[in-house]
Amino acid sequence: MREKRWYPIVYMFAVTAVFSSIVIGFTQVTRDRVQANASLAFERAVVTVFPQLDQTRMSSLEIHRAFTEQITEPDETSGGAYTLRRDGRVVGYALPVAGQGFWAPIEGIIGIDVDRTTVTGAVFYEQNETPGLGAEIAKAPFQDQFEGKRLGPAETPIRFSRPGRDLRDNEVYAVTGATQTSTRLEGIINAGVNAWRARMGEEGGAE
Amino acid sequence: MTPTGASSETRQIAVEGLWRNNPIFKQVLGICSTLAVTNLVLNTAVMCVALIFTLSLSSATVSLLRMFTPRNIRMMVETLIIAFYVIIVDVLLKAYWPEMSSNLGPYVGLIITNCIVMGRCEACGNNSRPAMALLDGFFNALGYTFILLIVATFREVLGMGTFLGLPVPYFSGPLWDKWIIMVMPPGAFFMLAIIVWVFRAFQIAREEKTE
Repeated sequence: MREKRWYPIVYMFAVTAVFSSIVIGFTQVTRDRVQANASLAFERAVVTVFPQLDQTRMSSLEIHRAFTEQITEPDETSGGAYTLRRDGRVVGYALPVAGQGFWAPIEGIIGIDVDRTTVTGAVFYEQNETPGLGAEIAKAPFQDQFEGKRLGPAETPIRFSRPGRDLRDNEVYAVTGATQTSTRLEGIINAGVNAWRARMGEEGGAE
Repeated sequence: MTPTGASSETRQIAVEGLWRNNPIFKQVLGICSTLAVTNLVLNTAVMCVALIFTLSLSSATVSLLRMFTPRNIRMMVETLIIAFYVIIVDVLLKAYWPEMSSNLGPYVGLIITNCIVMGRCEACGNNSRPAMALLDGFFNALGYTFILLIVATFREVLGMGTFLGLPVPYFSGPLWDKWIIMVMPPGAFFMLAIIVWVFRAFQIAREEKTE
């Protein structure tokens, strides 16, 4: 039978069908989990930038609950940012920023206070930069620098400075050895903040 | 086959995979991932576990199907089997260890094209019993693993001053000016070349002695 001309074709079809079905079944079983992980990374980032919500002690489930119950989706008064409200008043913004990194897209959330100047936090939850170098942007020592910074004038709301120098109010240290990632991330943040300011200037003036 | 025969055969396979015919410094196969994922020891370790799983099982599966697979399409079938196991690893990481999955990025998927896997399926899976193919795959993957861990340890300690993310005395201190180049791609080329050189020199010296 192995000498028949149709045998390789039928065999290939059969083998492919068997292995594909197992993979498809396996992906189906884990699909919900994979999707939940992806959306949880985003929700955790949003919750983290609000100092009013203490996410360090929250389980994944509590983070999901805090996100769905307390955080308002972007609307026309928030300029594309997620907002946290207390008694109907906005107490903070979580602005999604995104752009191309050195290797792959970077996505993050910048937390901004109601004064629209003080930075309440920054999380970069999606990136594929060089492990050990650019990927440091996803770690706490880098991200913690942003808390309490004050956004600067239009050209440079946030500036990345060479490590070791004295910092001004709107400056954080760049990642050593990752010039490309740092430069691109600086651009992503500033483009995002400037676009948000423009939108807020037009629509949010009613506050 | 007698039990002693089987165990000496196992030892033979182990020595071949780990030392005499080591996939990295002897066959120089699969070095793409050697260069890509070895700047942090933890990432390397996970990558190696993924390879051990894929290589042992795909070689054994190729061996199981070898009586039925027509020779002219065997490489297609091998690729399919390898891809099958790699996708399973990839999905498992995405579902249960998302941080690691994003650290390794595309490299898990690229195990499919890792030359060691196809090489062992061709060299051993195609003409050995499933148990032997499984062992051959396992020991070749172990041979790959120990070399990668050596490369990764040097790169992480010299380049970052840490081991498995924990600071190493002296290297993480102010006296050590971190060799950033070690965690960047060129560092991998230097380390790999040195390792291949050292191990081969050692191997040749021993062979001459036994002769």
